Amino acid sequence: MNIEIDYTVEPEVVKNQPSHSSVNDAIAAPLETKPSIKYYIALGISGSLLLTGAICLGFSFYYGVGLWGNNQPVGWAIPIVNFVFWVGIGHAGTLISAILFLFRQRWRTGIARFAEAMTIFAVITAGLFPLIHTGRPWLAGYLFPLPNQHHLWVNFTSPLIWDVFAVSTYLTVSFVFWYVGLIPDLAILRDRTQSKVKKIIYSIFSLGWRHSNRHWHHYEMLYLILAGFATPLVLSVHTIVSFDFAVSIVPGWHTTIFPPYFVAGAIFSGFAMVQNVLIVVRKIFHIEHIISLDTLEKMNKVMLATGMMVGYAYGVEFFIAWYSGNPLESFVFFNRVFGNYAWAYWIMVSCNVIFTQLFWFKKIRRNIPIMFVIGVLVNVGMWFERFVIVISTLSKDFLPSSWGYYKPTLVDIGILLGSFGLFFTLVILFIRALPVVSISEVKAVIKGSQPQHH
Amino acid sequence: MENKENRNLYAVGALFDSPNKLVAFAKKLVNEGYRFWDVHSSYPLHGLPKIMRLKWSPLGYVALVLGLTGTLTGLFLTYWTMSVDYRLTIGGKPWFSFPAFVPVLFELTVLLASVGTAIVMLFIIFKLPNNRHPLHDSEYLKKVSVDKCGIIVESHDAKFDYQTIRSLFGEYGASEVVDIYYNEEEIAYKPRVFEPKFIVFLVVIAILTSAFGYLFNNKVLYLPPFDFMLKQFKVNPQSESMFFADGFGMRTPVAGTVARGQRDYPFKGKPDEAGEKLVNPLLSTNDVLELGKRKYNTFCSPCHGWRGEGDSRLNGQFPNPPSLHSEKVRNWSDGRIYHVIMEGQNIMPSYASQLTEKERWAIILYIRALQRSLNAKQEDVK
Amino acid sequence: MNDKKYWKYFENFNSEDRNLELKQQEFSEKVTEEFRIENLNTLSRRKFLALSTATLAITTTACNDYRDKGAIVPYNKKPENVLPGIANYYASTCTACSHRCGILIKTREGRPIKVDGNPDHPVSKGKICSVGQANILNLYSPERYKKPLKKSGGKFSEIEWQSAFNEILQIFKRANASGKEIALITNPIYSPSFFAVLNRLQQNYPTTKIYVYEYFGEYAKAIAWEKCYGTPNFADYDFSKAKVIVAIESNFLGNEGNFVRNVREFAQNRNVDNPQHFSRFYSFETDLTLTGANADYRIPLPASKHFGLLASVLNEIVTNHSHKLTSNFPKEQLLQFSRNFNLHQFAKENGINPSLLTQMIQELVANQGKSVIISGATLPVEIHILTNLLNEILGNNVLLRSKAQPLIGLNKLEDFGELVRKVNDDKIGLLVNFDVNPVFHFPKDLGFEMVFAKVPVVTFTESETETAMLSNFVIPISHNFESWGDWITSDGDYSTQQPVIEPLFGTYQKEDFILGIIEGQLIRDEYHKFIMSYWRSEIYPNVNPGVDFEVFWHSVLHDGVVNSPAALSSLSKLNYDVVKELTPSISSGGWLLLLKKSYNNGDGKYLNNGWLNELPHPITKVTWDNYVAISEPSAKALEVNNGDILEITRNGKKLEIPVFIVPGIPNNCLVIETGFGRKNAGVIGNGVGFDPMVLADFATVSNGYVFSDVKARQTGKHYELASTVEHHSLNDTFVKDLSKTRRIVQEGTVEEFLDGKFKIHRAEDLRSIIPEIKYSGVKWAMVIDMNKCIGCGDCVTACNVENNVPVVGKEQVLRGREMQWIRIDTYFSGSQNNPSISFQTMLCQHCDDAPCENVCPVVATNHSPDGLNQMVYNRCVGTRYCSNNCPFKVRRFNFYDYRDHFANGFFYQDSLKLMQNPEVTVRSRGVMEKCTFCVQRISEARQKATEDGRPLKGTDVKTACQEACPTEAIVFGDMHDKDSELYYWRNHKLGYYVLEELNVKPNVTYISRLRNKNSEDIS
Repeated sequence: MNIEIDYTVEPEVVKNQPSHSSVNDAIAAPLETKPSIKYYIALGISGSLLLTGAICLGFSFYYGVGLWGNNQPVGWAIPIVNFVFWVGIGHAGTLISAILFLFRQRWRTGIARFAEAMTIFAVITAGLFPLIHTGRPWLAGYLFPLPNQHHLWVNFTSPLIWDVFAVSTYLTVSFVFWYVGLIPDLAILRDRTQSKVKKIIYSIFSLGWRHSNRHWHHYEMLYLILAGFATPLVLSVHTIVSFDFAVSIVPGWHTTIFPPYFVAGAIFSGFAMVQNVLIVVRKIFHIEHIISLDTLEKMNKVMLATGMMVGYAYGVEFFIAWYSGNPLESFVFFNRVFGNYAWAYWIMVSCNVIFTQLFWFKKIRRNIPIMFVIGVLVNVGMWFERFVIVISTLSKDFLPSSWGYYKPTLVDIGILLGSFGLFFTLVILFIRALPVVSISEVKAVIKGSQPQHH
Repeated sequence: MENKENRNLYAVGALFDSPNKLVAFAKKLVNEGYRFWDVHSSYPLHGLPKIMRLKWSPLGYVALVLGLTGTLTGLFLTYWTMSVDYRLTIGGKPWFSFPAFVPVLFELTVLLASVGTAIVMLFIIFKLPNNRHPLHDSEYLKKVSVDKCGIIVESHDAKFDYQTIRSLFGEYGASEVVDIYYNEEEIAYKPRVFEPKFIVFLVVIAILTSAFGYLFNNKVLYLPPFDFMLKQFKVNPQSESMFFADGFGMRTPVAGTVARGQRDYPFKGKPDEAGEKLVNPLLSTNDVLELGKRKYNTFCSPCHGWRGEGDSRLNGQFPNPPSLHSEKVRNWSDGRIYHVIMEGQNIMPSYASQLTEKERWAIILYIRALQRSLNAKQEDVK
Repeated sequence: MNDKKYWKYFENFNSEDRNLELKQQEFSEKVTEEFRIENLNTLSRRKFLALSTATLAITTTACNDYRDKGAIVPYNKKPENVLPGIANYYASTCTACSHRCGILIKTREGRPIKVDGNPDHPVSKGKICSVGQANILNLYSPERYKKPLKKSGGKFSEIEWQSAFNEILQIFKRANASGKEIALITNPIYSPSFFAVLNRLQQNYPTTKIYVYEYFGEYAKAIAWEKCYGTPNFADYDFSKAKVIVAIESNFLGNEGNFVRNVREFAQNRNVDNPQHFSRFYSFETDLTLTGANADYRIPLPASKHFGLLASVLNEIVTNHSHKLTSNFPKEQLLQFSRNFNLHQFAKENGINPSLLTQMIQELVANQGKSVIISGATLPVEIHILTNLLNEILGNNVLLRSKAQPLIGLNKLEDFGELVRKVNDDKIGLLVNFDVNPVFHFPKDLGFEMVFAKVPVVTFTESETETAMLSNFVIPISHNFESWGDWITSDGDYSTQQPVIEPLFGTYQKEDFILGIIEGQLIRDEYHKFIMSYWRSEIYPNVNPGVDFEVFWHSVLHDGVVNSPAALSSLSKLNYDVVKELTPSISSGGWLLLLKKSYNNGDGKYLNNGWLNELPHPITKVTWDNYVAISEPSAKALEVNNGDILEITRNGKKLEIPVFIVPGIPNNCLVIETGFGRKNAGVIGNGVGFDPMVLADFATVSNGYVFSDVKARQTGKHYELASTVEHHSLNDTFVKDLSKTRRIVQEGTVEEFLDGKFKIHRAEDLRSIIPEIKYSGVKWAMVIDMNKCIGCGDCVTACNVENNVPVVGKEQVLRGREMQWIRIDTYFSGSQNNPSISFQTMLCQHCDDAPCENVCPVVATNHSPDGLNQMVYNRCVGTRYCSNNCPFKVRRFNFYDYRDHFANGFFYQDSLKLMQNPEVTVRSRGVMEKCTFCVQRISEARQKATEDGRPLKGTDVKTACQEACPTEAIVFGDMHDKDSELYYWRNHKLGYYVLEELNVKPNVTYISRLRNKNSEDIS
């Protein structure tokens, strides 16, 4: 098999031909210059959010999950909503770095590294929730098939166990993928830095990479293999997350459309998040020429597409609810649209389906402020989609006698904010600690950096 | 190998500005038949593996093998835990419900394949981490990191000749030619097995882990709610209760009350009446005798002896009781013996509270059996 | 050359190619011999890992020390008939209310832990109501007084028993010497021994006068009875013999009369195996009561209309049916009275279908002597008189069962007015509140609070009450589970009460104290001796059992009850002249206010009982509060909604109380339950609900609790009412009749059933993709007969007590986190103004293919070999997925450690630790729990069976709910046992499973309810 890719015939992705050394300088700059006051403000904000979350979490750990709004019919609420939301965010990263790599989409080069990082941070954030939402979080070890004093194993028929495997695999593989990509850049930094301490750190983490082409040869193969595995993995993860609901017997959850619907939604919200963050980053660090407007426009197109898939899924759900003639099923959907939680439903529909239609217009696709706002709205909408699915469904199920209304408490909100705090703190630290764009990949696609043989 | 100073030459390297010249030189080396040489660039140079005649990377196979291992591990794990080691009826499903296991199999496959392959490449093929390679900290590598690409020819190549190589570099328009030497003290470096630093480090770990282990195993695990419901808010049999001044969790019933099924012993202080009126409700069947034996050995034998011959095991702390095989006892009615168990006699206390009614009668039957066995009559033999 | 040569690093690691090694030798002597790049530094790395892991392993395992798991405290001298771990049962008598049911108190190691009915008791026949069961919480209540209290300078201080006794003795002596009256207020006296004690008290202190009252006592009924039959001691009806029952505002299935007996006898005519013998039950009522909910025909009718109803019924019967009647009565006189009441006119005026009334009358006449007309305690005298009249002319008094008279009966309420007056004229030397709480009970306008300033008051009480707070002396008394006693059952037999534990707080029982006053010194256990001597001299000779007294006494205590040969006074003839002065006393102007007895609080004494407060109201499911129930149109008129506070005014008296909209209540009617709103009930009871007695006035309560011309207006304030279910208007088409359309509740009529028109809907050909699991041996299942279930909630209380279910408190119920393992769902269907109510007892269905099990990640819930869906508490991490996936939502989650969370750890106080059932795990925070089919009882039975060397039978086990169910609606047992009762019912043609189409294979069968009404009347 031939894994050679002839980049030279494609249109250039990196604007106005920087020299290799200038690429080094541009990308390494944030790591070497003193951060500006703006940076500290940003860090301060996200940090305090994180702290709020931590405090709320501390309280719920000390007093019990009773501090949340969860009640008898609504056993799952905001924490699970957050979990699904953040896992979704993660998906964009893998999609960009793996799937677009397989499709030879060169415009991914500028954003791949960043997207992967966001994947990892999002999955870390998401991974917290299944652990903390349990009544006895200190027993989370029971969720892994480890020998224990009960001589009991886990229940491999439970979607939650599938979750454990899926999410942890996803986290590990994304991390490996990301780290393998980092090694050459770390080597470059190692050879570039003046400070002794940094040098030691870079040396350790670059594992003594020597830019040898005998290594590059295997390296590219590995990258291809990882991409090849990450692609089905990313699809499987949200499929399995959707199984948490689809495998149950609760009307409104027990639906076969969930897997594709969830995956589309995940990519949808993920792209929105990546787009938002990139817009900020490229501005601050003046790397507009590397993360170009075309790239952003392409992302908006993806959002438009996935957004409509999601909208289609909403439609189909209703059609089936009516078409199946199952009274329980149709009741649930009727309840979503007109019941106690109709407001949430309508937020979801307007944000996810209606506003994204604006991306049909090229002007809007290329207008940074507007696309930013839409991106934010999409994330709001997708959060509420999970809210609708989890909570409005649970609050009214089979027996009218056991219906109940769910109200989130301040602690719930605090933990939600905390999750954003954690995510953005990690992102902010990342852009100061590591190259946000893959140096070697960018170099490789600059004109003239490849030999013109034959 | 002829080196000017006695420093160990590792290789001679040349730096090129454009990959094209480099490629030309690489072709030359291949044709000359050099083997220990390498090309360095901070990004993969495409087409080079062909020129260098590198064999196609085997990582694909590695991934395949590891992936299958993952699948099989998953299959074994699910099958063995759910259907062999600890079978449980869960939702009426069969023990081995394969469809439900597929997600786990898939995830394990991906996990092992991707992570494993990366590890194989980095740590086995490349033998990383390795920061003591002569190239490190060399000007050569630093320049490569920025914008040059370079070639080295290693000194232990069979055809290596210092002068020829250098001149070759010249011909092919290397922008710069450098000698790369082994780092002496790195070669000289011998790790000592027990450095004080390392010992201290171990001691610290030891202290930390023991402190943690102690606190966790003996404090945290007994702290509700972490204590696995070990201490429960209820009073179990034979446990104390701080509520009562005397600390007894078990209370004695109020005097004069009568529980359901509670019988009064009507012959208090009337042994002979008891002897006449009470009759043994049990038949001496096997398991009744078994019960009797068990209870006799527990409660009676310490004083009366295993066979009821009054051979006490209390070696004289108390006067031995009379034998149960005396004429008197043998002629006593069951009721009469029952009375002794109920009320005790001489220094023998009452055993009413230790033995239930059934057990008392069973013991008596057992005693009868003992009596019969020790002084068997003719007709017993038949 | 082969390609291999190009490889450098590969060859180093696949070592089969030697020649390269040789090549390297050339250099190695001189140059690279001692040195391999790859090998640098490896040793230290390996060493590091090895040593550090070793250290870690060693140190962690090294430091486990022995952990003291608490002392083992055996008996010093083991009592003869107590085996650790084996329960003992003591027969006794329940004194929670005045009905004196027989109980069996279950004790473990000498500690009472549960109360069941005494099966040998002729009246209660082994059943006991919620209050009786929850009474055990009062026994262990940490709030009970420990020492006598003396008030000095407005402040209470604890004093020693002896000094308290002496001081009070002096007051008695002084009062006696000065010839002033010693007033002793108490509840009706049914205890022969205590009656004797009181007589002796009156001999020693001649000025002693006994005042007897009862909160919400049935005064009007007594007065009416006296007018009709010359005795205030009215009789009960035997509902088991009644073919037709007409209840007028009567809640005899809820809280009127002897609940246990009433429901048992009522349910006897609800056996689907002979539907012909179903009784026909009409109920005319303002409030929506349990009784009305169980009626075949419930006709909403304001209390002000009842007189008209009965009068016109009388008129109809006398005019058109008298020839059919066998009894002889003064026809003219009755016509004279009832001539201007016309049935059809009445029906027209009140929007009742006249044919329904005529049908009722025909049935009454057709079943004369086999029908009952009963009117509620809240109604005024004249209505009771009319009721008696009707029953008399219909010859129904053959169903009357006379009751044993109290040895000291109710005083006229006027006497208490008299008492207050006497206090003001300083004629009283001492006032003794003998375990009563008049300050809370009497309407405020009596001014009873005033007397406390004027005379020394001694109050005997278990714990804080409004009366105690005002008294000079408070004497703590023992709980009835700590006391001796004897009683006359309502059938005139004798029942005994024996203590099951020494007084927990060193208190004396109240009778001991009175005996002390008589004899001049306070001696513990004196009353015990007194009872025995009294029985020896008085009762033993009458009963004349033919054995000597010790044996007799022993057997009496053992059985708890002994028949008395003395026959009860039979009923005299009715005096028809009462019709002369019959006039309706309720005008129908303004809003109509109706005060009702509460279901669970008794006279307010049990307001401090967490279990009873959290037991949902049988109709509205509201906990921890009372409210004013009004109809939806009235609510609209007042512009209020559930929880909005209403201001109710009557003769200048004001009450602010939240509204709760209840379907089936006539418009412009306000219904409030009493026994709430206490100021000094205790930590739990304080501020629970609102006290409607402020609206009543003392003069009129003896004539019932219906008040007209009441004003009501909304205040704009709001109050949270904690109901365990969501409430929807019945006009809300979105959720209308879901219980029927989803086939959760399946109901038919007797008529349809008899002519085979009524078929149960069973889900057809359910297929499963997985093979069915085969169970061998005993497999547990339950059947609940909805014809017998009246929705009282005794099973809920029984379950709470048996399974250590915590109390969560109002704020948690508001969040929807109540913990009860079994609940009673109430479904309303039909129209808002006259709904039909269906009950459904819902508990874990122990499904064979339980959806909860599949989703638990840690197999904390799975199936036992005998078919139980079991919880492994200690394995549960609390994902709550099982609860989400449970179609019946019967799983309960410990969101907090509720014992700790509720009322700052109230339920973590030492005394309550003794109350827990040792056989049941006390679940910690973060754990899921649910009904276990009383697995502890199952294993107890299995153990017993193994001891006796026989196989376990399904009939060996009775679950707590089954044991408590007063109508025997619950059957439990082994579904494989072909000739068991359970097997029969499980395969009954009226049996169905809830949500069967989900094919989770539930193991709780519901026998669908048959209403004995004409099919076309089904709403």
